[in-house]
Amino acid sequence: MSGLSLVAELEGLVEACAARLDRALALEELEAARVEFLGRKGQLAAVMSRLPGLDPDARREAGKAANAVKERLTALYDARLADLNRAAMDVALAGFDPTVPGYAPAAGSLHPVTLVTAEICKALEELGFSIVTGPEIETDYYNFEALNMPPEHPARDMQDTLYISDSIVLRTHTSPLQIRTMLASKPPVAVIAPGKVYRRDSDLTHTPMFHQIEGLLVDEGVSMADLRGTLTAFVRRIFGPKTNVRFRPSFFPFTEPSAEVDISCVLCGGKGSTASGPCRVCKGTGFVEILGCGMVDPNVFDAVGYDTERYTGFAFGMGVERVTMLKYGIGDLRMFFENDIRFLSQF
Amino acid sequence: MLLSLSWLRELTPYQGTAQELADRLTMLGLEIEDIFNPFEAIMGVVVGRVLTRQAHPDSDHLSLCTVDVGGESPLPIVCGAANVAAGQLVPVATVGVSLPGGLTIKKSKIRGQVSEGMICSESELGLAEEKSPGIMVLPETCQVGTPLPEALSLDTCVLDVSITPNRADCLSVLGIARETAMAFDLPLTLPEVAYAESGPEAAKELAIDIEDPQQCPVYRAKIISGVAVAPSPDRIRWRLTAIGQRPISNIVDATNYVLFELGQPLHAFDRAKLAGNVIKVRNAAEGEAIVTLDGQERKLTARDLLICDAEKPVALAGVMGGANSEMADGSSDVVLECAVFRPGTIRKTARRLALPSEASYRFERGVDQVGSVYALNRAVALMLETAGGTARPGVAMAEPKPFTPRGIGFRPARATMLLGEDMPEDFCRKVLSGLGCQLSETDPSGVIAVTPPSHRLDLEREADLIEEVGRVYGLDRIAPRLPRVSKALDDVPAESEFGFWSRVRTFAVGLGLREAVNYSFVGHADLDILCLDAACRVSVANPLSEDQNVMRPMLAPGLLATVRHNLSHGNANLRLFEVARVFAADAMSETSAREAGRLGIALHGLRHPDGWPWPKDELAGYGDIKGIVEALIAHFKLPAGVYARDDSLPWLAPQVVVTVGGKRLGVIGQVTPEVADAYHARHALWLAELDLDALRALADGVKRGFKALPSFPPVRRDVTLAAAAGVAVGDVLTAIAEAKAAIFEDVLLIDAFTPEGTDERRLTFRLTYRHPEKTLKDKEVDKVHEALVAAVLAKLPVTRP
Repeated sequence: MSGLSLVAELEGLVEACAARLDRALALEELEAARVEFLGRKGQLAAVMSRLPGLDPDARREAGKAANAVKERLTALYDARLADLNRAAMDVALAGFDPTVPGYAPAAGSLHPVTLVTAEICKALEELGFSIVTGPEIETDYYNFEALNMPPEHPARDMQDTLYISDSIVLRTHTSPLQIRTMLASKPPVAVIAPGKVYRRDSDLTHTPMFHQIEGLLVDEGVSMADLRGTLTAFVRRIFGPKTNVRFRPSFFPFTEPSAEVDISCVLCGGKGSTASGPCRVCKGTGFVEILGCGMVDPNVFDAVGYDTERYTGFAFGMGVERVTMLKYGIGDLRMFFENDIRFLSQF
Repeated sequence: MLLSLSWLRELTPYQGTAQELADRLTMLGLEIEDIFNPFEAIMGVVVGRVLTRQAHPDSDHLSLCTVDVGGESPLPIVCGAANVAAGQLVPVATVGVSLPGGLTIKKSKIRGQVSEGMICSESELGLAEEKSPGIMVLPETCQVGTPLPEALSLDTCVLDVSITPNRADCLSVLGIARETAMAFDLPLTLPEVAYAESGPEAAKELAIDIEDPQQCPVYRAKIISGVAVAPSPDRIRWRLTAIGQRPISNIVDATNYVLFELGQPLHAFDRAKLAGNVIKVRNAAEGEAIVTLDGQERKLTARDLLICDAEKPVALAGVMGGANSEMADGSSDVVLECAVFRPGTIRKTARRLALPSEASYRFERGVDQVGSVYALNRAVALMLETAGGTARPGVAMAEPKPFTPRGIGFRPARATMLLGEDMPEDFCRKVLSGLGCQLSETDPSGVIAVTPPSHRLDLEREADLIEEVGRVYGLDRIAPRLPRVSKALDDVPAESEFGFWSRVRTFAVGLGLREAVNYSFVGHADLDILCLDAACRVSVANPLSEDQNVMRPMLAPGLLATVRHNLSHGNANLRLFEVARVFAADAMSETSAREAGRLGIALHGLRHPDGWPWPKDELAGYGDIKGIVEALIAHFKLPAGVYARDDSLPWLAPQVVVTVGGKRLGVIGQVTPEVADAYHARHALWLAELDLDALRALADGVKRGFKALPSFPPVRRDVTLAAAAGVAVGDVLTAIAEAKAAIFEDVLLIDAFTPEGTDERRLTFRLTYRHPEKTLKDKEVDKVHEALVAAVLAKLPVTRP
């Protein structure tokens, strides 16, 4: 038997195998075809088993050819396997429904007041303020007297107070933290105090408990311009870079000068009107009141033993619910404390 | 305060619009909350002339009139008033106009006769309180066709000004006129006051005796005799009506008119009802009583101030007159009081008696002691004009404590520093003198001595003057700049309570809980339901309602209220948490209370969210809430908690106390059906309440560190034990750990069930064994495992089934 006929036989295997693989439509048939041609007792092995009977030269030639054929057969097999796998995958994927709902884990959410408190605190912390907290039941001294509101001061009328006893109140604002902080540390002081506050007031626009964030900065040379800069930066962080800030002179016993801060209306952008008529949020004025502020009154510095000539400072305070209502367009204050999950789940 | 624009214009010639004025005043610190027309309802009523009047053919009291209202043809109007007559000028409400009483005029037929309007009376127009006897007949100066408010020069523009407590000087037309004049650079003119006096000197007829000059620095009185008490002239009545005041009589109205115009409260006594010839100002005796004008008897304390005649109290100073000395219809002689009282005294009395008045409101903020002389004369002149009579010459008075102006050092440089914007000296001078201050030359150190006017009692210190300079300059004009605060970089504060709470909140949200925020106060009744200790409660002394009269000693009552609200609104499946303070009485605390941070959790309803593929019948239970607590403890890298049965709260059963590292962390429990029912719960309601202060202390003590990953593989062995009733899983876990097998690493409960008909639980545990330095052989592990199980079997009433 010549080497040539063996080579021809080997070549013939390629065509036969290709035809056989093409007929294999399932993985089992493909495997059978592999065994038939490439298996230990397959056709390739049968041809190759005759190699030792050839002359050394012819054997080398035929051996080379046999290896080449083995590679081609293997490649044919691999290609067919890939085809069949792809086809099987296609069949499997055809039944895949991407719109089936996920297995929902229980969904949690932060209360909107917490969300906005956190946002405000973050903005102010990045500006350099540190967070402090203090008691919600306060002494009259910290809540009023040290803040330049002695007994009988008419300014006490500005806040209806809930009392625990004659000298103990539910804090009416977070401002006692100004006193507690300054008594505990020397300037420079830059703190914010978030927390619950209480007033004896309950109607459509007031709840007896709400949340405030107080800010205090004391150092040498602090001015009203610094206050304006700080609040402008802060308000733009919370309400967007185009927000305008307006300072209106006002009165708080613990600041002098004092101002109310208005921002350009979040709904109408300060125009005072929307497509449907006068703006319902700012009532056509273009501004909404957002916080109160001022330069720390010298009497407050006296109460904590700060040198009123050397140090100046500013303080500001805002109601979190009010900011939240403006930010999220919440119309009814009472919803905050009903905790209806249909409300909570929106935030 | 309600301010009439036309009244303001009598004092300063402001010609701009109300809106411009409002904008300017608002930016000066006098916030205008509203601008309105108090006569809006009658703006559609016009002046008409009755051209003809004839009797109605089918009525004996109705008239048929034709009235010219300036339109193309006269209107036929049926009128029922007896005083209607041809030739009169009358107010006519034409078709479509709604009158203050709510009546809308329609074209109608009255007993067969067409009527296209209504001729109105004063009371129908809201211009008089008492029902008028007939239609209003207008003066000939009125123009036919003109809107009535315009024809009568009514105060049709009123500004609602919000006056801050420091600006007592602005509680009057005069005060706001001063600000207006300054803001628009206009002159300020006070009404000229001149009247004739005759008879004996007032001071000879009446002595003033002030017990304590601190309580009453000045008391003046004028005597007017022979007045005729009657309604005020129209212009005064209508003006008072416009600013929401009820006209009473010419005498009382004159005092009110001056109060609103000049800010000085006055009081008119009927001289005939005053005994003796002396007015005494003294503190009340403890328990003394007076019947005030409103007919109420007021019990007084020694802190209240009284005005007395020779025999009896006749007025509660600064708050309200006495009924016994009131001006009445037949009164003819007046003692007109014009005094200044100590603000704190008036405030205390008015608040204690819940008797706020326009007078007390001004006295407690401070009135202008110097300006009171003019106010008194203004009121006398008005009374003489409107009620007749004769004023006695001079004033009966005592002024034991005259007003002493204060000098305040003011440095323009300090104003520049504090406002952060250049405030040149000449600007500061212009502002301060514009406010009525006297200014000295600037001394070499740059200080100006400033003496504020007597009406600016709020200007006491340099800071007050700087505020004025800033206010007039415009706080809104100050250029913003960001502060530079020098702080050492290592000046980083420890995490705040707020920061720690934020971490807890974030974790709770991640566990699928929704955050609730409840009021810190609940009702004592809520705490009674929960049998919470009465002794430790912190009560609110003046609560708004019974359900808000005590501070929460636990979060539970608030969370239960949230559960109730949701269940009553159809939200049945609840996973809630709250982070807040709770309160307990503590005599040692400076605030008389101890406050502690808590995390509260409430679960009710289905264990899983609605929808496929979760089972629809599994309710949240102990395992769910405990799992949350365990996850939280693990999150803070604390050692596992110890969970022990407890019964200290009778409304939680079962009830479990959680302890970590020997510290009590909180409680978990199921609300008993009776209590749960009160909160509308239909399914098991589980609560947990954890002490955040304890959690934080524990978490602060944790040192996080790395342990090398094991180099050799674990070997696992499962064992199922049958545990007799009463054997807790925890007991088995403890026994396993206490067997102290050298290669024991970990144990996990992987299955638990109770075969039917037994009370014995089958518990399957998976134990992990590992050697740090070699791969364990099965035989080695089997030996250790069997020994360990044997130790457990020996220790507990458990068997191997």
